Amino acid sequence: MLIVGLALWGGQSLAESSQSRYSADGLYNLANSYARAGKPGLAVLNYERAALLAPNDADINANLEYVRTGARVPPEPRNRFARIVEAAGPTLSAWAGVLGIALAGGGLLAGRIVARFRWVRFGGILLGVVLITLTVCNAMLLWPRMHEAVILINQTPARVSPVPMGDTAFVLAEAETVTVRAEHEDFMLIRTRNGLSGWVARANLGSVVPRAR
Amino acid sequence: MRWTKVIVAIFGLLAPAAYAMAQAGLAYETIQPEHIRLGESATLRVTSLDGDLPSVPLPVVSGLSFEVIGRSQGLEFVNGTSIPSTSILIRVTPQMAGIFSIPGLSPKSEPLVLDVVSEQDLNPSALIKPKPPPTPPLLATTPLPKGVELKAGGGAFVQLVIPTRAVYVGESVPVDIEVGVRPGIVTSLNGLPTLNGGEFTLNNLSRQPERRDKVIDGSPFLVMTWHSVIAAVKPGDFSLSVDTPLSVKVNTRSAEDMAFAAWLGGPFLQSMYNGIVPKDITVASPSTELKVLPLPTEGRPKDFSGAVGDFQVSSDISSARAAAGDPLTLRLHISGVGNFDRVDSTMLDHLDHWKTYPAKSSFTPSDAVGYKGEKVFEQPLIAALSGEQSIPGLDFSYFSPNTRRYERAHTSPIKVMIAASLADSSLSAPAEAGSLDGASTSRSAQGLRPDHPQPQSSVSEFKPLYFRAPFLAVPATLALILAGSWFALRPNPARATSKAAERALAQLDAAARSGDSSSFFDVARTLLLQTFAARWQMSPDQVTLAELRARLGTAGEDIERLFALADEAKYSDYEPGRTDFPRWLGLIRGQLAGERH
Repeated sequence: MLIVGLALWGGQSLAESSQSRYSADGLYNLANSYARAGKPGLAVLNYERAALLAPNDADINANLEYVRTGARVPPEPRNRFARIVEAAGPTLSAWAGVLGIALAGGGLLAGRIVARFRWVRFGGILLGVVLITLTVCNAMLLWPRMHEAVILINQTPARVSPVPMGDTAFVLAEAETVTVRAEHEDFMLIRTRNGLSGWVARANLGSVVPRAR
Repeated sequence: MRWTKVIVAIFGLLAPAAYAMAQAGLAYETIQPEHIRLGESATLRVTSLDGDLPSVPLPVVSGLSFEVIGRSQGLEFVNGTSIPSTSILIRVTPQMAGIFSIPGLSPKSEPLVLDVVSEQDLNPSALIKPKPPPTPPLLATTPLPKGVELKAGGGAFVQLVIPTRAVYVGESVPVDIEVGVRPGIVTSLNGLPTLNGGEFTLNNLSRQPERRDKVIDGSPFLVMTWHSVIAAVKPGDFSLSVDTPLSVKVNTRSAEDMAFAAWLGGPFLQSMYNGIVPKDITVASPSTELKVLPLPTEGRPKDFSGAVGDFQVSSDISSARAAAGDPLTLRLHISGVGNFDRVDSTMLDHLDHWKTYPAKSSFTPSDAVGYKGEKVFEQPLIAALSGEQSIPGLDFSYFSPNTRRYERAHTSPIKVMIAASLADSSLSAPAEAGSLDGASTSRSAQGLRPDHPQPQSSVSEFKPLYFRAPFLAVPATLALILAGSWFALRPNPARATSKAAERALAQLDAAARSGDSSSFFDVARTLLLQTFAARWQMSPDQVTLAELRARLGTAGEDIERLFALADEAKYSDYEPGRTDFPRWLGLIRGQLAGERH
């Protein structure tokens, strides 16, 4: 079964190799281009995407904060826990989780078979649990960002209903990051950092993780 | 004769007093307005409260001309008592600017002051006080409209003015409702005029009717006019009239009583007027015939919504350039005259490559009754594709009473240029980026950290690995394999037993070293019972001496002896020699070794 799982993942990776590929550096450079072109919304969107691939890149975080400040959007500081958990990056963290499962499971299994090497088995189990915990924390921190979007148009109206003629509840600034709660046809129900909710036209915001087409 | 003398004496005493009242306190004058410009006129009103006001001599003031324009009668409340009043209206027209003093027309009355400024001058008084309305044209005495009769004892009339031509079902027809009342006789209007008959609908009457003073057949009237529209709900020949609720003052005294009181003089006449009481009545207008024609069925368009009138249409869009996904607003303007409440349009139900939403409408009247105006339909549209798009023209069908047939109005198609949406193009380099260098970098980007070198590694998806289903199959499969192995590899029971035996032997060694025979034999008996029970698949209680002899033969006798020593050590003072422990340990190890093998 492990072979089947690896084959599935490997097959998908092979298929994806023909698609367009993204890198943190490429997205960072693209975001810089938008920032220089005076488009803070698109710049923040691509900085966010770059930060998703390389959370601890100092240049990405510095420019992201710089552009947000320039657009008068309050920055979102990360705490120490987030920095520690995201130190490995999502890809490395994913494989670390697999290794953790193998270590913890193997240690428990070995203890069932032989009684010797008790401390080695205990160390393996402990290391495995730590790796699994780090991966889970990493995933929990990144999960909300899977549903985030950036406002691309200044003075974007957030409406009370998902129709163009709906009354405007409040107005969003360009480069503001919001959380997408639901979708309906050409509108998305968003929630701001301040807890305000409203429907925004899909064309006026860009998802940090683009939907598969 | 004696009584006659008394009455004459009383009248003789009262007559001077009544005369004094008539001369002193029952007449007064007012002038409105007190400040006018040259070319305007003021009205001087002489009012008598004793019910009898003969002609008054016109005053003579240099620079002013006086002209009697009419008389009026009414009731005035003085100290809670209604007193009939008679007034003479005199128009005062200045020939020059200045401040004029008009002497009182009745004895002991104060002179009146009229301030007249030139047309160019600023009148300080006029700036402080609001300019009074222009003097109503009270001069001309107009006859009562044809076919209209005075009601309520000549105190009121109601008239319904409608077009004489035939109208169509649903057509909005402008109407005027005129209600004329004589102040003093009609005291209040108790409601708005209502239309008789259920074949027509009457739109909301304007709350504030037009008001103007008129002299009709020599009597002053306040004429109120409501403008509205009616619409017929079915065809046929109908008769229309309007009812208006009023309150009027009715004199309960007979004409003979009034004549006698007038003969007696002022105070008696006043007592006669105390018999006047209010009464609610309804005054109806004369009936007017109106022919209502049905709308023709021939040639009726499918999208005809019932609009009847004369309309013009046009359309526009909120922006000729937009990005895909941006909402645009298509507007249809329908203006003209007619029944705008029936003007409707679904606009575009479906349009390829566009997302259409239901239209909403708003009406802006250009008159008080909504007969003329413009209705605007707004339909939101969202383009799905980029490139030049064409929005087709819109149609509107209506029935024209002038041409007496259905008309169809069209708007022109609208071209719109749709660009790709920002969200779709967010992963492509901006067009301006190619021309950007260090010199042209915007000021806002000067604090940016520099670009990174060309990337070496890349991914095909933004979603982290652990959120992708194919990758999740790897740890899930691994966990399943480990869990399966956990259940497949059962722990060896002999190994567990031997570990327990080793712990018991260690306890036996410790008891032998310390010479604790009681603990030694107790642990030994327990250990052997558990060992035999496990070996023979029974509980330790079932391991009896007979069972030992049967299964172990001669070796069972030693075991039996050990159990007996255990009882002795536990319940007596038996103290075995120190050399006994190794022998018993050897025996126990032998039994355990036999079990292992």
